[in-house]
Amino acid sequence: MNSLLSILGQSASSGCGSCGSGGGCCQSSGQPHHTHGHHAHEHHSHSHHGGCCSQSATSVRPDETRRGFMERATTLVLGSFTLTLLPMMSGDEKKEEPSQTPAAPPEKAAAPPDPAAAAKGVLYGFLIDTEKCTGAGKCLTACREENRVPEGNSRTWVERYTHFRDGRVQVDLVPESGFHGSTVPQYDPAEVAKSYFVPKLCNQCVDAPCNQVCPVHASITSPEGVELVDPDRCIGCGYCVQACPYGMRFMNPETNNADKCTWCYHRITKNEQPACVEACPTGARVFGRLDDPESDLSKRLASLRTQVLKEHLGTNPKLFYTSLSDEVI
Amino acid sequence: MSERISIFRDTRHLQILAVLIAAAGAGAFWVRGQLVPPDWGKSGPYRESALAQIASDPHILTADNKCLTCHESVHEERKDSPHVAVRCMHCHGNGHEHMKVAEKGDYKKPETPAAWDNKFPSKVDLFVTKDRAICLSCHMKVLGMPESFKSIDVAKHLEEQGAENVDSPDVCFECHTGHSPGIE
Amino acid sequence: MESQFVFPNDWHVAWSIMIVLYPYITGLVAGAFVVSALYHVFHDNSLKPVSRLAMVTALCFCSCATMPLLLHLHQPMRAFNIMITPSATSAMAGFGFIYNLYMLLLVVEVWLIFRPEIVATAQTATGIKGLVTKVLSLGIKEITPGARAVDNWVIRALAIIGIPAACILHGYVGFLFGGIKANPWWSTAMMPVIFLISAVVSGIAALVLFYLITGRGHSAEERSECVYSLTRYLWIALIAAFALEMLELLHMAYEGSSDWHVIWHLLTHPLRLSYGVLQVGVGSLVPLLLLPLALLMKRWPRLMMTVSALASLLVLVQVFAMRWNVVIGGQLFSKSHRGFVTYPLEPMGREGLIAAIVVLVLPVVLLLVASKVLPVYEEKAAH
Repeated sequence: MNSLLSILGQSASSGCGSCGSGGGCCQSSGQPHHTHGHHAHEHHSHSHHGGCCSQSATSVRPDETRRGFMERATTLVLGSFTLTLLPMMSGDEKKEEPSQTPAAPPEKAAAPPDPAAAAKGVLYGFLIDTEKCTGAGKCLTACREENRVPEGNSRTWVERYTHFRDGRVQVDLVPESGFHGSTVPQYDPAEVAKSYFVPKLCNQCVDAPCNQVCPVHASITSPEGVELVDPDRCIGCGYCVQACPYGMRFMNPETNNADKCTWCYHRITKNEQPACVEACPTGARVFGRLDDPESDLSKRLASLRTQVLKEHLGTNPKLFYTSLSDEVI
Repeated sequence: MSERISIFRDTRHLQILAVLIAAAGAGAFWVRGQLVPPDWGKSGPYRESALAQIASDPHILTADNKCLTCHESVHEERKDSPHVAVRCMHCHGNGHEHMKVAEKGDYKKPETPAAWDNKFPSKVDLFVTKDRAICLSCHMKVLGMPESFKSIDVAKHLEEQGAENVDSPDVCFECHTGHSPGIE
Repeated sequence: MESQFVFPNDWHVAWSIMIVLYPYITGLVAGAFVVSALYHVFHDNSLKPVSRLAMVTALCFCSCATMPLLLHLHQPMRAFNIMITPSATSAMAGFGFIYNLYMLLLVVEVWLIFRPEIVATAQTATGIKGLVTKVLSLGIKEITPGARAVDNWVIRALAIIGIPAACILHGYVGFLFGGIKANPWWSTAMMPVIFLISAVVSGIAALVLFYLITGRGHSAEERSECVYSLTRYLWIALIAAFALEMLELLHMAYEGSSDWHVIWHLLTHPLRLSYGVLQVGVGSLVPLLLLPLALLMKRWPRLMMTVSALASLLVLVQVFAMRWNVVIGGQLFSKSHRGFVTYPLEPMGREGLIAAIVVLVLPVVLLLVASKVLPVYEEKAAH
């Protein structure tokens, strides 16, 4: 979260001097955040620092005694974070938010005359509401068809975690056709303590290891913060596949290029939702603009407790999850 | 090294070699310059036109707002029901082909709609809707579903509700409608 | 292990046996170069008989080092992108430049070493041989004592530059793996050092074998003297390499971080044979017994050379197993840390077993041909 917030902070030109160096407040503590509730307290007057702590602190189970305090700190912190973003928006020409719900028949979205100018200041984010995912798997086939993903590889998938009463944890992959006629294993409900679904897709890290290792600059961070693969420059070395801690990249046997989830760059740049979001019947997948405090995503991120995957690796994902368990990596 | 070394005579081979290496290096540098894409680095350390290239990938999935441009009444039917988040394509298919025809304005409703092929979003464009399999593709009770989601054990549910044709594909529609499935 | 769960994209092992061969081959290059530098820079005269062989070995293997990479690349036609638009943040991007500079250094040094013979042959030979040597002599017809002195100075200078260059060429391969934080089996700062030391080990071992095969023209005394010296260096280098490898493992085990259960399962199951038996047992512990034994047998040169050759062979297996265990082993567990996959080594195909054998045998064939064509052992005659 640190770099992400400092990026936002910089574009907001709020004159945050210690942003770069002090941004490491979470990492430098070197300890699990939930044992250090006072961190949020120390920093909550400083929106960026506080933001990074609160994001993680609220995502893990806080001490019961600290809970109330943590919640108040979070509200304060995220509130001030939102406030600092406001001035940033005033000057910018707003890019139209992709239609969140299909509620009203839409007015024709005018194509922006200059895509580069329209993308200025736009930063996309993604939120997975794990408590809404029913494992129907509609997103999976939608992604495969939309992006012509070859069989044997996936740009997105859904995991089902099952915690048994004896402490074992079983992870299964949700089949793509959904549960109708599916082969997902069934377990004796009497033995199961809890079970839940976790969709996975590209984390679109601010400090993306896949981008870092690409030897030929075929890994592109688009102006909107989306990690892409240049189909004409990739040499197919596979280094990015090794570097992604989330297993999101693969070598596409049809194009012979590295391939990955692009959050449906071809859709989102035309004011549409990514295919998986479009196909999700329960609203478990939320896509939107991080730079716009009025977007549905920003509002949810401000009020929900979220965490990111493999935070200790310092990749700073822009993909957030609600209610994750430690077992999910 | 007792020999007298003449800088010019005794290093002539090295001078020639240095010229050769310098020429090869300069040539390689020039060739490299020619091979860098012309739009390199304009908006970042990458080929700028790649962005537009990726952004121009075809759209396959049809978003609901496209469907609702014509089928306005559906919005009214489902806006207050839990199915407001369910997309047209979940029950009717993707509509990619349908849109192509509809945009030309000469759409004719087929006599017999295609049957669902159990593959979502299906190669079959726009299929028959009244099939319990479509309902159950979301609502069949499976381990891991959130408590708040309405999932059913089919046999139990049909028995409890006293369904008439238990084996019929459209048994769900004895009580529910697709666009607003709640019981009145 | 709680459950077998593999991320969908992790079923496919992206880096094949070709990526095992690449560090193996560059390791032999770096190791052989170090041996020649021991003579040219540090004046260990016992290694004089193999000093030219070492340089030719390095050149032969270096000229084949890009082959496994080109066979591996999914877009080999775009290979030069790595030098056209290199990324400064990528450990891999340095490859094109480091490799080319090192290759240039090797070619120039070998050329200087063989220049007396090249110039002499150019004056007498006809046909293709005459043409090639005339081009290589750059039109120079005689080598003055002054020019020879200059050459010797330049050879020594290049050998001095070559040592760090060889270390960079091979150390960067280690860094390429060591810098991947996504992979707990790779991500360690020790990786470049371990790669480098085992490169020296493999280079010396290869030279022992190549010398015993090709150096039959030398006197028995000269041969045993040289092999004895190589054996001594091999023993020292192997101690260092094995100690570092075990230290790394011990460190991981002792810290017992959250990833240790994955690595322990990796070593005890999929890599049981290639790590436990080949890398540690047969490849390290046995040579660590054989090498001092060979050194104690100085009185019986034939026995000493036989034991040393056997140990060298085992060491070459050890280094290959080590490369395999790093490259392939690091991909046998999913990034979910909950599941393991297998690497099916197909016989056919671009990255198959047969292609791999060809890639590995080709530089050896090149070397055997070079040892016939070039005066690898005739430095004295040239004076």
